[in-house]
Amino acid sequence: MEAPPVTMMPVTGGTINMMEYLLQGSVLDHSLESLIHRLRGLCDNMEPETFVDHEMVFLLKGQQASPFVLRARRSLDRTGAPWHLRYLGQPEMGDKNRHALVRNCVDIATSENLTDFLMEMGFRMDHEFVARGHLFRKGIMKIVVYKVFRILVPGNTENTEALSLSYLVELSVVAPAGQDVVSDDMRNFAEQLKPLVHLEKIDPKRLM
Amino acid sequence: MQREEKQLEASLDALLSQVADLKNSLGSFIYKLENEYDRLTWPSVLDSFALLSGQLNTLNKVLKHEKTPLFRNQVIIPLVLSPDRDEDLMRQTEGRVPVFSHEVVPDHLRTKPDPEVEEQEKQLTTDAARIGADAAQKQIQSLNKMCSNLLEKINKEERESESGGLRPNKQTFNPADTNALVAAVAFGKGLSNWRPSGSSGPSQPGQPGAGTVLAGASGLQQVQMAGAPSQQQPMLSGVQMAQAGQPGKMPSGIKTNIKSASMHPYQRL
Repeated sequence: MEAPPVTMMPVTGGTINMMEYLLQGSVLDHSLESLIHRLRGLCDNMEPETFVDHEMVFLLKGQQASPFVLRARRSLDRTGAPWHLRYLGQPEMGDKNRHALVRNCVDIATSENLTDFLMEMGFRMDHEFVARGHLFRKGIMKIVVYKVFRILVPGNTENTEALSLSYLVELSVVAPAGQDVVSDDMRNFAEQLKPLVHLEKIDPKRLM
Repeated sequence: MQREEKQLEASLDALLSQVADLKNSLGSFIYKLENEYDRLTWPSVLDSFALLSGQLNTLNKVLKHEKTPLFRNQVIIPLVLSPDRDEDLMRQTEGRVPVFSHEVVPDHLRTKPDPEVEEQEKQLTTDAARIGADAAQKQIQSLNKMCSNLLEKINKEERESESGGLRPNKQTFNPADTNALVAAVAFGKGLSNWRPSGSSGPSQPGQPGAGTVLAGASGLQQVQMAGAPSQQQPMLSGVQMAQAGQPGKMPSGIKTNIKSASMHPYQRL
């Protein structure tokens, strides 16, 4: 599904192409408390927000080698919250000066029959996981600290086991395409979390 | 005359209190060494030594103080020596000197060092005089240089070990875990139940997966033949294009269709 890099395409449609700028790192369980305290100090003053989300990743296999990926996410602890459907494009490589991972991002809220709809469309669920953690915000930056739980029995979100002894830390910004100054702000914020966490741009293709 | 007497007394009092403090800290240090030697840690010993050195320093300062008369000019002469117990003396010395007699006086009122010590000191002074001024100066310089080198090395080691010592104790993140988590969230490495090796997305899912895709496709075609409402037409045709295998158009088709469905449901792109 390699569309040409979105930042090069002219804006002709009705929507502005939103890009997600991302920095990722991890923190071991025993250092989570210190990280949470530091984030509470650095981020906007709000009640500490925890979340439990169930994310399912759907693939549509075409004739090409790489399938089309959509991510459906629902909240397990907030009743009545809409489902969230997200498309994430391939990370745009090329600019070494950019400090964050940049990829095209399309987000939409949906109703509860999302999975049925996707199945009817021909998508098949590839994998799912439960994410449980904390959410912080600083301006337009969103910092999420969560633990990934593997679902042992497909569809059963009660029976989960932690994937590792660490929490994943993600610093992300969703901004219109072309605003690379955002990555500088992200890098400055990431500096403040060292040496607890090293937030860096990790290319998923490297880890395949 | 009176002023000097007063000064003498004041300085004597100060000296007395300093010496008492020193005695106390020495006593507690000895107690610590004798009774708690199995639990003793090096920092605690260093603390005691530091305390003692501090107190000796203040003692020196008191002695050097301008208001202190030169004790060197004062002479202590025993006036009465008696073998009887002296209660006053006992009280003043906290029971350590019960009798002011012939045995006690030479030790307590001594001004010259022990004869053996005096011998050694005389030996050392003759040796020093024998070397000569130049050689002595050279020796002093080399000693100073070696001391400063050693100090520098110790400081450098201390600085380096400070940063190195913290790292193994306070490992707050594990890079391997980072990679594993990112891989899991990005493409499900380690999460899929029917692909225990956690291999990448594009690989073949096996027969059941392909079968369901085909079943889904045929279901779609049946729905379309039954006459789906016009709203769904663009989307179904998008998927049908996939089945027909037109690689270039499919990605943009589905993406823009989803976008158009969300933004302008009745407008074709």
